Amino acid sequence: MTVLETLLSGQLLFAALVTGSLYALIALGLNLVYGTMRLLNVAHGEVVMLGAYAAYWAFTAWDLSPLLVAPVVAAAGGLLGYALYRGIFKSLLADSSAAQVQRMESNSLLLFFGLSIVLQNAAALVFTPNNRAYNYLGTVYHLGSVSMTGNRLAALCVAGTCCLLVALFLGRSVFGLATRAVIERREAAFIVGVNVDRVQWLSFVLGFASAALAGVLVSMLGQFSPFSGFPYTIAGFIVIILGGLGNAMAGLLAALLLGVIETYGVALTSANMRSMLLYGAFVAALLLFPNGVFARRAAAR
Amino acid sequence: MRDLFPNRWWTAVWLSCLVLLAVLPFFANDYVVGIGLSVLMWLALTQSWCLLSKMTGYVSLGHVVFYGLGAYLVVITWQQIPLPLAIVGAGVLAALLAALVGLPVLRVRGPYFVILTFGLAELVKYTITWAESASGMASRILFGAPDLQVIYFSMFALAVMAVAMLTWVGSSRFGHGLRSLRENEEAAETLGVPVVRYKLIAFVLGAAIPGMVGGVMALRSTYFVVGQVFDPMISVTVIAMAILGGGDNARGPLLGVLFLSLLSELLWANAPLLYMVILGLVLIVFVLVLPQGIMGLLEGKKAPDNQLPNDAAQASPKQGGTP
Amino acid sequence: MSALLQIQGVGKRFGGLQALEQVSFEVQAGQIVGVMGANGAGKTTLFALIAGNTAPSTGSIHFGGRSLAGLRADQICRLGIARTFQIVKPFPMLTVLENLRTAALFGKAQAPDMASADKAAWQVLEEVGLAPMALQPAHTLTLSGQKRLEIARAVATGAQLVLLDEVMAGLTPTEVAQMLQTLRALHTTRGLTLLVIEHVMRALMELCEHIVVLHHGSLIARGTPAHIAQDPQVHAAYFGDSP
Repeated sequence: MTVLETLLSGQLLFAALVTGSLYALIALGLNLVYGTMRLLNVAHGEVVMLGAYAAYWAFTAWDLSPLLVAPVVAAAGGLLGYALYRGIFKSLLADSSAAQVQRMESNSLLLFFGLSIVLQNAAALVFTPNNRAYNYLGTVYHLGSVSMTGNRLAALCVAGTCCLLVALFLGRSVFGLATRAVIERREAAFIVGVNVDRVQWLSFVLGFASAALAGVLVSMLGQFSPFSGFPYTIAGFIVIILGGLGNAMAGLLAALLLGVIETYGVALTSANMRSMLLYGAFVAALLLFPNGVFARRAAAR
Repeated sequence: MRDLFPNRWWTAVWLSCLVLLAVLPFFANDYVVGIGLSVLMWLALTQSWCLLSKMTGYVSLGHVVFYGLGAYLVVITWQQIPLPLAIVGAGVLAALLAALVGLPVLRVRGPYFVILTFGLAELVKYTITWAESASGMASRILFGAPDLQVIYFSMFALAVMAVAMLTWVGSSRFGHGLRSLRENEEAAETLGVPVVRYKLIAFVLGAAIPGMVGGVMALRSTYFVVGQVFDPMISVTVIAMAILGGGDNARGPLLGVLFLSLLSELLWANAPLLYMVILGLVLIVFVLVLPQGIMGLLEGKKAPDNQLPNDAAQASPKQGGTP
Repeated sequence: MSALLQIQGVGKRFGGLQALEQVSFEVQAGQIVGVMGANGAGKTTLFALIAGNTAPSTGSIHFGGRSLAGLRADQICRLGIARTFQIVKPFPMLTVLENLRTAALFGKAQAPDMASADKAAWQVLEEVGLAPMALQPAHTLTLSGQKRLEIARAVATGAQLVLLDEVMAGLTPTEVAQMLQTLRALHTTRGLTLLVIEHVMRALMELCEHIVVLHHGSLIARGTPAHIAQDPQVHAAYFGDSP
């Protein structure tokens, strides 16, 4: 394929949209947890991975459609988030004196990293490290020259819908307003009567639920292993760094952009390049925005 | 020196480790010597990591990048330049990378620095992987590497250097400046500490030894696999060892290295995944519950984890009043 | 004799906010000059500019005849200017002594080694009344203690000009009196020049020989405390046209 053909390919566009929508969903969850509690959940991808395995077992052991199982898995993810919040993070954050906040944030990152390692390897112990896959909604539909498998279409629709719903929620509902207030300026939100605790645990729940849901979708699309989750975490980080905190629309756009860069980038160069591009974008984003785009908010905390 | 030998117990610990490790190759079999080599390697890596991350508070999750670069240099110059030169070159190359990226990278603070260093290491890994496959080298094979004893004693020297460097920095003016900027960077700068320059120096100093360690370890196996020498788990293990040990001087890492190396030996052959799970748990538990590490437990949490050697000896005529 | 500190036409803009505009005044060596003004008047910004934490948008600052333009905070400290922070910034896990050691090592004093740095530090600790706490981690100090630590650290740099940012805030009347005593002693024994931001009027009037008043970023009055107390513009700013 020539470069022009590549760029104009509807097939690639479709692939980019699917990837981008998944990234958007994953980034949304990361964004919520980070926005409200300033915790970089490095283990977010592992929740995705667990969601994938849950769907896999449901399908192969009980013949249950992943789309049917999705809400249940999402709920389970939410529950996990709630448990983690109550169990660990509420007390972790309560102790911070102003001088210790940045060190605590580094430390909590290490904590999540440890969690990520535990989850990846525990999953490898329990599920074996081998790749898993199953075939669901494999029928191919054609729109012009573009071939789309049913599962990709479904993933796009579900991810897209969820993102829109959350965006609407954040933008229109009273609770969404409260959430955005906490994200922007926690102390002030507290003072005006926002139940910060409730906003926080709800963000955790939503964040983990969306990750688990994304996992179900991922499981439909191809192979995965206990170690597949991590690249999604990285992608999610790139998106929230580029798109900014609490800004759902910008996050969506950044996610689509990343999907585009990745898909077209790989097509134009080679598969080996994918990780290079991903991490290159990651490093560049962090260097360009040394405080993750949130400099004045970090000071305001 | 009081950082290393604050009391008789520690002097005994260091001396016995030194002696045991020094004579190991003369009476033990290759397997045991391999364990000793591993301990020395982790010691060198962790001590050098502490020089940046414990002293300045800029926690690097990308330490492996220097190790991998060093290994890579030795491998691609294999039998084209004398080996000692290649190993020194490995250290120089690593220090050069640190000098090059240090300024922009060290502008980034807190958790962003952590993931940035991680991302940087991965970027270098994938870039070299791509470069290798693009140039058609599937893997490289090293023939005629020096034998285990040479490798062992080279690593011994590197470990000693790392301990010496950290100790020297820890009791120097430079080290005090680093600790100050760790505690509050803005205040430190306002008090005259050249924070940007100091951070960069720490970064570069902490990079040289891992580079040489990587170079030496490349000689261990006949195959060179990019993914292995840039394995992020190496960075994670270093952090786990340092956190488990605690403190910002050379003693903590010794404890952490000994403990986790032993654990790794017990588990690696039969249950590597279990070892990884434990490593992750160490990170979680120690960050959450024991941020001062074992040293914090041993030496009492009320003492700051950076008790400089001169403190107890310094006497003001009026000292001894009630706080 | 030319002034120790010369502020000329200094202005600072943060995005859309003009924090300071056309501020000019001088401080002679050995003086204690007060800086007064409502919150948001630009006082702390002025300190940040002098100490080098940020750069002026317009105007110039000269210290001992030397321009501070383009200098970093640590360079300015080595020239002989030190400041305290309104929200205290101790080195929490270092001991009180170690906090001062940093100042003595890296400030204008440039102590050649740890031993001489500590010696200088002990001296300051005595003068400021923190000697009993010297080996405690800084975070264990009370607020009053931490404010003293801020001052002690600034003095320990060997600075000639010390910028004190609201060091009396939050202190009880007794503590204020003690602090005044300490500051006067430091000023005399060390020949310091002090620039003092204060809201505690009594302290400001008692301590300073000369006061400048900022309002919405501009300098609206200057003079002796008595003069300032009568100045109609100051009255208007505080009681009349309040922001």
